Amino acid sequence: MTQMTAERYQKILARIAHDPRMSEENVSAPAATTATLSRALLGLGAAGLVVTLVGGFAIDAKHAMASYLVAVGAVLAISLGALILVMCFHLVNAGWVATTRRQFENLASLAPVALAMLVPLLLLDMFVTKGTLWSWLEPGAIDTDPILQAKAPFFNLVFFTLRLAFYAVLWTFLSIRLRAFSTEQDRTGDRFLSNRAKFMSAWGLPLTALTMAFAGFDYFMSLEPEFFSTMWGVYLFAGGAVGCMAVIVLTFAGLRFVGRMNGIVTEEHFHDLGKLLFAFTCFWAYIAFSQYFLIWYSNIPEETFWMLERTTGQWKGTGIFLAVGHFIIPFMFLMPRAVKRRTGLVALGAAWMLFMHIMDYVWIVRPVLHQGGHAPTPATWWVDIAAVLGVFGIFFGLYVARVGSGPLLALKDPKLPEALKHVNYV
Amino acid sequence: MPVSDYLPFIRPPKARFVTERGEPVWGVMAQFDDTAGAFHAAEKMRDAGFRRWDLHAPFPIHGIEGAMGFKRTILPFLVLGGTFTGVATAVGMQWWISAIDYPLVVQGKPFGAWEPFTMIIFELGVLFSAFASLFIMLALNGLPRWNHPLMRKDRFLAVTDDKFFVVVQANDPSFNPEQTSRFLRDIGASAVELVEDA
Repeated sequence: MTQMTAERYQKILARIAHDPRMSEENVSAPAATTATLSRALLGLGAAGLVVTLVGGFAIDAKHAMASYLVAVGAVLAISLGALILVMCFHLVNAGWVATTRRQFENLASLAPVALAMLVPLLLLDMFVTKGTLWSWLEPGAIDTDPILQAKAPFFNLVFFTLRLAFYAVLWTFLSIRLRAFSTEQDRTGDRFLSNRAKFMSAWGLPLTALTMAFAGFDYFMSLEPEFFSTMWGVYLFAGGAVGCMAVIVLTFAGLRFVGRMNGIVTEEHFHDLGKLLFAFTCFWAYIAFSQYFLIWYSNIPEETFWMLERTTGQWKGTGIFLAVGHFIIPFMFLMPRAVKRRTGLVALGAAWMLFMHIMDYVWIVRPVLHQGGHAPTPATWWVDIAAVLGVFGIFFGLYVARVGSGPLLALKDPKLPEALKHVNYV
Repeated sequence: MPVSDYLPFIRPPKARFVTERGEPVWGVMAQFDDTAGAFHAAEKMRDAGFRRWDLHAPFPIHGIEGAMGFKRTILPFLVLGGTFTGVATAVGMQWWISAIDYPLVVQGKPFGAWEPFTMIIFELGVLFSAFASLFIMLALNGLPRWNHPLMRKDRFLAVTDDKFFVVVQANDPSFNPEQTSRFLRDIGASAVELVEDA
């Protein structure tokens, strides 16, 4: 690894210090606005969770649990997508991202929060409702089903809990440490912190990829424990990366709207963020279609029942909506260069993709409510909306507070001059 | 680029200017000796409103596209036509073959199922886009061509060494052999030559 010399780094720091764009006001979020927005979102979140709880008692516990899992799955994927992208940026030595990486780190550092929101639901279904949502948690379910018996080493409470603990430790450690390297560099100006972040990313990336896939098996694939798909992990990552890019684009559109980051995050940066949003949208479509196609083609009953549930009958419309809304419309909309370079238009695309990211989880999780003649009516959709508002309110309330808690970019990153003059030549 | 370059049997349009020996004038070329001189000359050419002109340099110059006032190419929109042609070809061909002309039961799947078409739709979409972008790019650049009038100029050989050349074509609306040569000398050219059409 080539090392940046101390003199060169000092020169870079001096140049950054004299840059008029790096004024205190321009690189910190407006405190009053972020505080108000954060409180409003947290209030909305608390209200949404209360309404979900009411729905759980008033309508159906399983419905409320599934709705809550939809929302938690969406934010967990977003934060893990951010964590993986942060590590990718470190590993490929990305220069242009130095002005925007702090927000990826903020988003990634909420992965423990998203997982913590999942834990009460897991505990509830393990010990109180006993397999209402995850049918294999029902006492005796594994002993009576030959398919589940073969999977018993994986589906048992001890190993399940150990895996959960491992995910929690790993994601918390990586996301907090990677953000801490960056914020510590703001204070100390130690150029070796960038190298330590690279080293941590090198072992953290494969582990995060594997744990994300296994968490996908544990909490989403196991809703129907007979089902299996080897593309599951990468499918969830692709969706999470789309959601993460959508949140990041909206964050910077918001910061530009309140007059921050002037000259720091320009149309050139929006162009590249938009490219990543577009690229992960295409990647999601590629993976989603490949998963569907292989299941359709090989025609194995343990796999096809899952797809049939979601592409025929009651959920056919949602499946088509996902194909059109999560791929065809954004593919056409985000393709032109001019769209990605206009803050308002790319933010519109990002808001749409965030909505479609939630719909993706609706499509994955919600059909479990329709098994065995058990079918909720559209009149109970308010529980779904309340759960999404509740979880997103809490998650993004904390995110906005975190965005407002410090500088909006890595102030002393060795790559900052490169990012500040970043231009797309094509 | 005139059509006559591709179709030699079409008579080229009559030259607007001829040399003393009666050869049609292709344009003028002006030599610049350093990068900064060529860069600023390009800015002045842009501001003077010339349209059919070019700058030749031994190496890429950063930011020259701004100094020359390049507009973005229309190529992407033309390539989109190639993409749609490829997609339509793939859909039509596969559907006609597997649902109309020669229906064959494969693994009990329905005739004309859309799923296996998707890969070919993607491949042909990419293939036709690639062909469209390559060949339309060549056509927009006036390529291929056997020779170029500048190749007959000994002085122009230095463009592969250490000299820069601003070249104005005679079919530029504001071209005039004397006035343009004078303008090029004014903006710092070290030598200006008339280029005859070959």
